[in-house]
Amino acid sequence: MDITVKIGGEAGQGIQTVGALISQACHSAGYYLLSVNDFESRIRGGHSFLQIRVSDAPITAPSHRVALLVALNRQTYDLHKQEVDSTGVILLNDAENRVEKNTVRLNTVRLNIDELAIQAGGKITANTVAAGAVLSLMGADFQLIETILTKRFSSKGDGVVQMNVAAARLGYESMSGVDFSAKTVMKSSAPKGKLINGSRAAALGALAADCRFAAFYPMSPATAIMGAFDSFSDDFPIVTEQAEDEIAAMNMIIGASYAGVRAMTSTSGGGFCLMTEALGLAAMAETPVVVINAQRPGPATGLPTRTSQSDLLFVINASQDEFPRFVFAPGAPHETFETMIRAFHLSDKYQAPAIILMDQYLCDSSFVAEKPFAVPEKIERFIVGDDQIENSSEYQRFALTADGVSPRALPCAGRALSLATGNEHLEDGHISEDQTNRKKMVEKRLAKFSGMRAEMRAPETYHEGAALMLASWGSSNGAVKEATLALNEMGVDAGCMNLVDIWPFPGEPVAEILSKSRRFVVVECNSYAQLGKLIAQETGVQYDHAVLKYDGRPIYPIDILNDLKDAGLA
Amino acid sequence: MATRNDFENSYENKWCPGCGNFAILDSMKDAFAAMGLSPETLLLISGIGQAAKTPHFMRCNMFHTLHGRALPVATGAKVANHDLNILVNSGDGDCYGEGGNHFLNAIRRNVNITLLVHNNKIYGLTKGQASPTTDMGMVTKMQRHGVISESFNPLAVALAMKCGFVARGFSGDKKQLSGLIQDAMTFKGFAMIDILQPCVTFNKVNTFAWFKERVYDLAATGYAPDDYLKAFEVSQEWEEKIPTGIIFKKQRPAFTEKIEGLGSKTLISQTWNPEKIQTVLN
Repeated sequence: MDITVKIGGEAGQGIQTVGALISQACHSAGYYLLSVNDFESRIRGGHSFLQIRVSDAPITAPSHRVALLVALNRQTYDLHKQEVDSTGVILLNDAENRVEKNTVRLNTVRLNIDELAIQAGGKITANTVAAGAVLSLMGADFQLIETILTKRFSSKGDGVVQMNVAAARLGYESMSGVDFSAKTVMKSSAPKGKLINGSRAAALGALAADCRFAAFYPMSPATAIMGAFDSFSDDFPIVTEQAEDEIAAMNMIIGASYAGVRAMTSTSGGGFCLMTEALGLAAMAETPVVVINAQRPGPATGLPTRTSQSDLLFVINASQDEFPRFVFAPGAPHETFETMIRAFHLSDKYQAPAIILMDQYLCDSSFVAEKPFAVPEKIERFIVGDDQIENSSEYQRFALTADGVSPRALPCAGRALSLATGNEHLEDGHISEDQTNRKKMVEKRLAKFSGMRAEMRAPETYHEGAALMLASWGSSNGAVKEATLALNEMGVDAGCMNLVDIWPFPGEPVAEILSKSRRFVVVECNSYAQLGKLIAQETGVQYDHAVLKYDGRPIYPIDILNDLKDAGLA
Repeated sequence: MATRNDFENSYENKWCPGCGNFAILDSMKDAFAAMGLSPETLLLISGIGQAAKTPHFMRCNMFHTLHGRALPVATGAKVANHDLNILVNSGDGDCYGEGGNHFLNAIRRNVNITLLVHNNKIYGLTKGQASPTTDMGMVTKMQRHGVISESFNPLAVALAMKCGFVARGFSGDKKQLSGLIQDAMTFKGFAMIDILQPCVTFNKVNTFAWFKERVYDLAATGYAPDDYLKAFEVSQEWEEKIPTGIIFKKQRPAFTEKIEGLGSKTLISQTWNPEKIQTVLN
């Protein structure tokens, strides 16, 4: 089975609830799934949808082919009916739509969801009726649905559970006799892995990495990361503070890190703009920090609830003058989790800021992550105390070293005094305008680059050496991988590589990989081909073609295939 | 026992001769010595400006940050380790201009730190432009026809935000100032002292003599800083007579005391528990 269910309606109609019930049922039945949100920046009304791709084989991208459309309102039906393939079924909420008979397509099933919900005990159960109907068409065992509902509503009491079970049953039974060609048998089974979105994966990574302080200012799509992280504070030594603005958030985490705890913030492009001044302070004061930029389309406010990969060159260059920093772009939840742990480790090790590029698609979409999420064996802090400093009363925070990294003592932790400043400074941390010192300090910070670059991992590749190489970064890797497989099936000699470790740029391995292919194409969600430009800058290799998507929606494998066909490359 | 000399360092001072900052620096050292604090236990955090250079001229831990941003940096440091003894040096431009939003919110949080605002009513580092506290009408090189915006009243604003410790000092009275600094540092919660000081180079109106003629010590009048509305009244006094001393004092739970789960143990001293974390990851 490999089908996509799309549920659409107004914001506030409970699309998320229907989606969550279907996702949980499929996950509990041992299926792979990928659930993508598409919503407007509003709390009520408008048009939003959620689509879930369910498969018995691993999947890494959403699909454009809809097998089941649940139209909670008329608009959904009008907008999406053409996406449903000929074997698919449309569930039409008749109470909402009042669609004329002759405009309804043959495979449309009318269902008065609200009426069934009232029959079950309350209009509030409408979402459960819809989920019951969908799961019935997919072939779910009712026992499976009952288990999910009991788990979900048990905290609200038996009455609520019973009402929802009744609602699901009415929805379920209303589909008897409806033919759906992809119908299968879904029973409770061992889940394939963890059902998780990128936001929670990032928060888990921070928890595992011993991050203890997070400051933030609310901004879509980054806020959920902070919400997930804060939820751990009931059981772990964690403080999350909502700052007055992103400027304060960034400066707070610098203060916390300077005082000795691992700290992070998350924001989107606009908030990151406000943080760039303090990003420079973290670099100048050589204070480790981890910053997540969950990208959305810009410039300015752009599209607040949509997705984008357009801040790559920005974050590599953000803040005035030059300084070493790490930039990572994980592509899926497990990779996000592991990248967070590495980012905290490397930021501490090199006393340099680490930036994680995520995006709305990665943050808000739920994936099945098969690899286990494992806590690191140990946490190395790279902090020295008096006993590790030769003459601690003469300690110099910015002592010149061959690798540019100075032993880091914390303030008020011993005889060693920690003096830091955003001004150019001497080894002891005092301001200096001396030319020779300035040159030495620039070179000290620069010296970190080679060590940092050596930490960068080569991009993961598939079919290295294929005639056509697709290159991507961050969350577009899933679509690129599936497009590559499809190209192979079409007989095209194609491979792909995805960059997670982006800065310092792993130029040598990238050049090596690209040298083995005849053509190379970048695939990104921006209009400038930012990775393409970066690869050209760092390796001298020019891309032959760019597949670019910049409409604020995630890239699908079909987008890549169509583009390559148009370009005569497939 | 620490003495005043323990806080001396050899770093060259870069203020103009006669600057009010010297007296503030002296008063800080006096206060620290009187409190028996050692340089190793002190953390000075500052923003940008002539006042923000203060930490460089003293031997202790220090973080000289960005313009206006000393308070959020100090807030983060205090959350990480609430045992840290943190004092912030800021100026009228740094604290009330560039960092105005942080000033309001540090008071709201009631972070247990001491804020010294060196208020010379002018921008010194950038050479003489009007600051938020420059009086209306004052002519500067940039405000050639006189300042047309109202002067910012830091004490009234702090009171409006329910700041628990609001005081005014004067660089011409080191004894009083040192006492105020000690009171502020002993106070549990956000404590601010707006310190009037002359800028000998750029402020030719609010000179040492100008201040000296007007300031009076509230304590000498029998004023008790426990009446919120009375404090408001006092905060409005200017022009003829300028009150100094503690204007309002009322203790409320400090920021780190209000964070559930932090308890008395500092965030930095807590232990990393991989087994417990793994249960959440599974």
